[in-house]
Amino acid sequence: MSSSTLFKATVNEHLENLPKPIQSKLYEAPATCLSIYRLLPPMAKFFIMSMLFHDKPVAYKDLERICKPHTKKLQFEAFNRLKALHLIDEDQGRSHLKLHPIFKQNFRDCLTGSQASNAFGNLCTTADKHQVDVKFLDQFASQKWETILHFMVGTELGVDPSKSVLSLLKLGGLMEGPGTSPRNLKITNEGFQFLLQDVNAQIWTFLLQYLNLTQDLNMDPVDVLNFIFILGSLELGKSYTVSSLSATQVSMLADLKDYGLIYQRSDSSSRFYPTRLATTLTSESAALRSPSAAMEHALQSTTTAEDGDDASAIQNSVSAGIASAQGTVIIETNFKIYAYTNSPLEIAVLNLFVNLKIRFSNMVCGQITRESIRHALLNGITADQIIRFLETHAHPQMRLLAKEKLDKKIEFDTSHNINTAGGAPQSQVYGENGTVAQHKLEVLPPTVVDQIKLWQLELDRIQTFEGYLFKDFQNQQEYDYLSNYAQEIGVLIWGDKVKKKFFVTPEGMDQVAIFANRK
Amino acid sequence: MDRPNHLSVVVDLSPSQWYLCGQPSNAHPLPLAAFLSQLLAFLNAHIACNDENTLSVYGALPGRSALLYSSASAELSELTDPADSNTYRQFKILDSTMMKSMSEQVDALSDLEEESPIGLVGSLTKSLCYINRVTNVSTSSTTTVGSDEPTIRPDPRILIISVSPDEAASYIPVMNSIFSAQKLKVTIDVCKIYGPESVFLQQAAHLTGGSYIFLDRPDALLQYLTMTFLPPPALRQLISVPTQDKVDFRAACFCHKNIVDIGFVCSVCLSIFCQPVPVCSTCRTKFPIKTLQRLNASKPALAPARSTAPVPSPSPANSLPRSQAIGLPRTTSMGNGISASPGRNGASTR
Repeated sequence: MSSSTLFKATVNEHLENLPKPIQSKLYEAPATCLSIYRLLPPMAKFFIMSMLFHDKPVAYKDLERICKPHTKKLQFEAFNRLKALHLIDEDQGRSHLKLHPIFKQNFRDCLTGSQASNAFGNLCTTADKHQVDVKFLDQFASQKWETILHFMVGTELGVDPSKSVLSLLKLGGLMEGPGTSPRNLKITNEGFQFLLQDVNAQIWTFLLQYLNLTQDLNMDPVDVLNFIFILGSLELGKSYTVSSLSATQVSMLADLKDYGLIYQRSDSSSRFYPTRLATTLTSESAALRSPSAAMEHALQSTTTAEDGDDASAIQNSVSAGIASAQGTVIIETNFKIYAYTNSPLEIAVLNLFVNLKIRFSNMVCGQITRESIRHALLNGITADQIIRFLETHAHPQMRLLAKEKLDKKIEFDTSHNINTAGGAPQSQVYGENGTVAQHKLEVLPPTVVDQIKLWQLELDRIQTFEGYLFKDFQNQQEYDYLSNYAQEIGVLIWGDKVKKKFFVTPEGMDQVAIFANRK
Repeated sequence: MDRPNHLSVVVDLSPSQWYLCGQPSNAHPLPLAAFLSQLLAFLNAHIACNDENTLSVYGALPGRSALLYSSASAELSELTDPADSNTYRQFKILDSTMMKSMSEQVDALSDLEEESPIGLVGSLTKSLCYINRVTNVSTSSTTTVGSDEPTIRPDPRILIISVSPDEAASYIPVMNSIFSAQKLKVTIDVCKIYGPESVFLQQAAHLTGGSYIFLDRPDALLQYLTMTFLPPPALRQLISVPTQDKVDFRAACFCHKNIVDIGFVCSVCLSIFCQPVPVCSTCRTKFPIKTLQRLNASKPALAPARSTAPVPSPSPANSLPRSQAIGLPRTTSMGNGISASPGRNGASTR
């Protein structure tokens, strides 16, 4: 989930950094309300839901009381997120909360089904002369998106992405080089990191860049964001009318078509179709495919025939989420890695963190070493990204083995009536979230995973934090009281009992100060 | 933590009970129409929480049960009025499918049927089957798909919205459903809108870790629903969801289907009887005359066979009906033992 949470973080960050008037304007569209709600963490969702059908402001204390005491940290995060989005307002005494009135109204309408017209795009009522089906849309979307990915690693496909895509790639720092001529551009380290993400995250990265671009072009950011969020709530395989869109949104169509988010037969066509890339924007379902699978598909279609009705190509694009089933990478506990692939993209990505040694016509072999991983880490790739990449690209055989192992473990536990998942048998082990620990499917050898993480930790011996120091406490009791609170809400970075000093994050400063004054 | 989850809702659609519930003479009447609009808003909210949340709704009608909506079949159905752009499409499909199938089902009721008992067990077992199918499909397909989290399953739970009183005859099937729910790790929540407290449903919620709520203010249904029943199981562990302070653990006897305070349990097959019997009707075990006499002698002193007062549970952990085992010559140790088991499938492992 790491990369999907990653993209969520970035979208949310973008939304949080918008000025309040723009946020308020955003909430005027029910589709946006729904999408923003979906991007929130579960605790925040719960708070919104409990306040949604309440007419009076809700007491802060009541919400706090409804949550179990050990969840202070989660509460704190949820409230912070909501405050940053201005979804909740505090009254003067800071004791009562209420939802943003426009958001409240629109989200309510959204759930009860009674909002203003044209909130979720206008469906075309007449039949299209040039009817297209879902298969076609999938193929269109993946072809567009792949062209971009191919271009980034420099595969010769003969087709270059459009100008707008190129400038976006350059603007986002994914590629660099003099001018905008396609031949001069080279992929950057950020570009490789970009390739490691899943499609959904990639698209969001792209769209956020696009948002920055539109602001420079003096397009209304509210209109643009609204349209993106509406796209996420449209239905695949249905056509929508262009006429109901605003001028800004119409001008976006051409760009979105270049990214493969929508399909429009010609620029003057009066209807457009959202593709799977668009409709899965706010969901977590695997969008089209991971990059390597895309590459494979492209190679297949170029070797067989370049035409669209190639059966295997269609088969490929239909099996949207299943694409990663063609995982190719086998890792052994001795850190040797074998990848059954000849795709330049996947080899290029592997080369980022593997010391590749041998190349055959259908596979490459290599070794994960401390040096190779450190090299990747120094380039800004994280251990989680590497692990996740390996996991999604694991060979089916590895998956099968892992599954067998997992079944055996579960069987052992049930027959002995214990839970060994947390490492401590015969006691119910509670995980981070207070849930009972469960066995996880370990596709990769745990030794390799741990070692990669350890190599990352090696680099983090010194860390710097910004924050505030609390000192000069009257007595030990006072110190304990405040530092415990800071610990509970998860903002404490460092504390020393003897010196009676502790250090909190900038975000937590406010909260702790209020708490201290309240006492 | 934020993973897709599945919700099965069992809606009690007893015409006579809903008529009574909507009577203005009640302190807080809730007519069926108001109930449905609040229910639909709740269902929409469930879908709104996560794009991959799934939903199935079963209606318990007099004498039968029917599937009103399921997210699996909704994708296939083509909607009649595609021109409506004012509602999120999934909500629209959900609302119209629900209303359509519900009115179809109610229209199909004949006068005779309206008197027959409510098909709660049928819809409960159907939702369990549905959940079983959903979870099994997702596990078998993940082995080939290999998504980012291969063991991911939609967290399943069942919400029963009940207005009818307990049907004593359905004790055994309800208990069996509870046990299969425990096995499937399905949480059963109960929202009792109208009618007397339900003994069986209280036990269902208690044994599966769900919450049972008897609404004090049925007209505020939606707030109850969103606060208590909307949070998915993962989040429930972090918030204090209201639970029952006392659970009525009484069981129904196998012979007359009465709810009993003190029952007599066969020491071989754990069947429950309201009075000592010489031969167990389930497993045909013969009991010694002596034990029978002893039990008969002590019986009137212990308690009347039927009392309406609910028994406050002494220890909610595993105490099921307070019952006395009928002695058997072979198992002398079990002779007077207090057996704590609701029925033959009494393995209530939690």
